[in-house]
Formats: sequence, structure tokens, C-alpha cells
Amino acid sequence: MRDIIRMIVVLTLIGAASGLTLSAIYGLTKAPIEYQTIKFVKEPAVKKVLTGYDNDPILDRTTITVGADERGKPIELVVFPAKKDGETFAVAIEGHGRGYHGTIGVMVGVSKHGEITDIGITSHSETPGIGSRVTEDTFTGRFQGRPITGEIQVDGISGATYSSKGVMSAVNEAVGYVTEFKKELF
Amino acid sequence: MASLRAEFTKGLWQSLPPFRLVLGLCPTLAVTTTGINGMGMGLATTFVLIFSNLFVSLLRRFIPTQVRIASFIVIIASFVVIVELLMQAYFYQLFTVLGIFIPLIVVNCIILGRAEAFASKNNPIRSLADGMGIGLGFTLSLLVLGSIRELLGAGTLLYYDAARPGFHIMWASFEPFAFMLKPPGAFVALGILLAFMNLISQIQAQRGGGR
Repeated sequence: MRDIIRMIVVLTLIGAASGLTLSAIYGLTKAPIEYQTIKFVKEPAVKKVLTGYDNDPILDRTTITVGADERGKPIELVVFPAKKDGETFAVAIEGHGRGYHGTIGVMVGVSKHGEITDIGITSHSETPGIGSRVTEDTFTGRFQGRPITGEIQVDGISGATYSSKGVMSAVNEAVGYVTEFKKELF
Repeated sequence: MASLRAEFTKGLWQSLPPFRLVLGLCPTLAVTTTGINGMGMGLATTFVLIFSNLFVSLLRRFIPTQVRIASFIVIIASFVVIVELLMQAYFYQLFTVLGIFIPLIVVNCIILGRAEAFASKNNPIRSLADGMGIGLGFTLSLLVLGSIRELLGAGTLLYYDAARPGFHIMWASFEPFAFMLKPPGAFVALGILLAFMNLISQIQAQRGGGR
């Protein structure tokens, strides 16, 4: 009986000590990990849609609250500003739309004068070779220079109508945020 | 304290993990597509090995024999998670390349083997020396194996990423021997290295016998 109690106590103590250590380490590495994930997952798209800046848009990222979900928790959105001489002249913001398979994430760059600079697909699971053609520059380029007044529509890719519409709705979502929070962003 | 040196150096040749003991082959074969990947894996393993050896040794009188394996695994797993978090925070690219093989360090038989066979029977200082020696040996083995595969398979050495491409060793018209980067290439490279090491040992033994 004493043996069993001793085993339980020792195992509990070891488990508790390692749990405590791990939660401390987790807390310490949380911010760097978030930065790294953004840098390697989102940065390529951000770099594609923004040009001519002299700051680090990833480091200067800000979050805006764009509303609340059903349970009253605020929904936050990450904004990547492109600055020159300390002045924000364009922002990159991510929107999401429903594609043919699941959600398409699109990084949209919007300039201060209300034009789309470029868009870049951050995540999608469209059919390779068919729906995935929306990631190509020939399609994403169709959004370049579009004014952000009203709903944005471009010619879709034939055979990939759902995917094209998914990208458009993602762009419109992102553009909608920019129009709504223009004062805070620029 | 002369034996402390022996505990450290035995990991470098006499019981060099992947080649001499032929232990820990899963990470050895899987991640050594470049020298840096191999070294990263080796260093992560070394970190876990040193700390698990230290803590197992410190707690050796406190842990009842019946639950020792469970305790060792908890200790090892904690350090593996620590190494995983640190890598994700500071070496993200290496983390994405090594992927599933970092959490799998938990079941690397070198680490549990050292905890069970050495650290649970020896004092902390000797266990530290043992962990460092075995870890360094493992890291060097993976670096060498990775470099050989990288040199033949891609023509470079110490490639990390596009910004830090390491050294381009092979001549310009060199056609990369892509087979070496595939899993069977790992077996071939490992086999050749093993044969080479056995040859050296044989020569050493003959010389020793001649004296």
C-alpha cells in the first residue's frame, strides 16, 4: 500500500512540475511564435500586394475590432500597413470567401486613394489545376487598380466559376472592412 | 575524474549512436536531406538528451522502480515540447522542415536508452557528460550524413534557405543526383558510412594487435 501511494505521489509531482514548466515556456514563446507564423505564412502575400514601403508591415501590424460574434466576443482583424516616411499609404487586409471546396483566404492591398493595389491568395483548397487557377497572376491581376466604390466584380475563369466567385467575395469582404474603418486605418 | 572524460568521449566513437549502436535510425534517415537539417535535428535531440539525463539522474533515488519508465517519459516529453516551442519561435523554417520528427524525439530510443541504462544509475555530473557526448556524436553523425546527401543530391553544402544558400560546391554543369535526397538514398549513404567506419575500426584493431 505504501508503495502504491509513493508511486502516485511521485508521478503526480513529476507531472505537475512539467505541466507548470511547459505553461511558463508556452507563455514566453507565444508572441515570437505568432510573429513567425505571420512572417512565413502571410508575409509572401503581404509583400506581393504592397510595394514601395520603407517599414516592416509585419512588425507594424495593428488589429481592428470589426464587430462581435453571437457570444459577444469581439472579432479582430489584423491589418498590415505600408508606410513611407512614417505615413501609411496602403494597407493589406485579409478577407475570406467560400470557394468550391472550403474557404479561400485573400490578402487585399488597398491604397489610400481607394484603389486595389493587388491581391494574393493566402490559403485555399480548390481543385488543383482547375479552381487553383485563381491563384495565378492572370486572374489576380484583374483586380489591380479597381476603385473600391461599390461591389467589385471581375471576369471569372471559365470552368472555375465558384472559385472565382469565392475570391471576389473575399475581396469584397476585405474592401468592405477598409471602407468601414477607413478613418482608423489611414 | 579521469572517467568523466571517458564518459564524454565514448559517445564520439566507441558508442556513436547511429553508426556504432545503430540506434535512432528513424530521424537519422528521414531528416538528413541537408547538412543543416541533420544538425538541427541533432541539436534538438542533444538538448533533450542532456536535460533528460540530468533530471533523471537527479531524481533517480526519488522515483520508484515500478514507475520509472513512465516518469522518464514524462520528463523526456516535457523537454521535447520545450524544444518544439523554442524552435517554432526562433527557427521557424527548420521547424517546418523537421515537422513531425521533433515530437517524435520522445520515442527516440537513444534518449530513453541513456536514461534507463546510464542516468538512472549514475550521478548527475557523469550523466551530463554522457548526454553531451552521445548528443554531440549524434549531431555530428547527422551533419556528416546530411552533408554527403546534400552534396551529391543538390551540389551544395550547409544550405539553409534562399537567403542563406550556404556554399555551392559542385561545378556548374553538375547534374544533381536527386536519388540521394530520397529515402532509399539515405539507406545507401548510411550503409556506405557504416562500411567505412567498420573499415577504420578494423585497421585500428589490426594495428593494436601488432603492438
